[in-house]
Amino acid sequence: MKIIRTHPFSINRVSGLDEWFRHPLAGLPSLSSFISNLGEVFPGVAGDKLAVDVHEDKDNYFASFEVPGVKKEDVKIELNNGLLTVAAEKREKDGEKESSFSLTRSVSVPDGVNAEAIAAKLEDGILTVTLPKQERSKPRSITLN
Amino acid sequence: MNTTCSPSTCTPATSGVTESLRKPLYKINGTAEAYEVRVEMPGVPKSSVKLDFEESILTVRGERSTAVPEGLKALHRELSPVGYLLRLRLNTPVNEEQMTAKLEDGVLTLRLPLKEVAKPRQIPVL
Repeated sequence: MKIIRTHPFSINRVSGLDEWFRHPLAGLPSLSSFISNLGEVFPGVAGDKLAVDVHEDKDNYFASFEVPGVKKEDVKIELNNGLLTVAAEKREKDGEKESSFSLTRSVSVPDGVNAEAIAAKLEDGILTVTLPKQERSKPRSITLN
Repeated sequence: MNTTCSPSTCTPATSGVTESLRKPLYKINGTAEAYEVRVEMPGVPKSSVKLDFEESILTVRGERSTAVPEGLKALHRELSPVGYLLRLRLNTPVNEEQMTAKLEDGVLTLRLPLKEVAKPRQIPVL
């Protein structure tokens, strides 16, 4: 499992794009819903959508994705231009034949996340991505001489 | 031989269930030797899976840890906090003593070996 940063504008935005927060800078809701609807129009492009939960505490945001039956090596996590995308390849074996299909989900990440320190863990079919909040610069008082 | 379960072979038994549990996604493959039941139960640890086989009804139960840890605030929720319950009525005799179960990556795989009487037989022509 790897976290890959790629160049902006080279992304596949045609997947469930969600707004995490009703933040004034979080983007245009109407545009987001338009883009996420594209995924339903072109299911082959976007793959099936993964269900996600987002939690936060003082220091981190946590995004939990439901990925039953997916192996660690078949998960790809990408942070690109404020968009966290999880792509999972699910392989199923029915006797002799093997089938696989892909599942993707994107969520927008708020400002102030320390991108270098993002970590992910896969347990019991739940992928948890931990996004640490950046330490805010402390207020400084400047004394006049 | 690799056939999927037909409705007449194993039907979901739903009677008498009042708990707020949901039916997980599942798939059944049948071979000449055994049935393989694969149940998707993400978020369920091994310790909270309960299996029961009684009077030809197979019951699979899985509790998921729903409690959000202290200090965590939910911002967006899609994952169901409810546990899973699957009841399957089998009309083929299986060897319950030899039933095996494996939980891996949130998927429970059960193998139900068929009893000798249920296995296909070759009848030689004399």
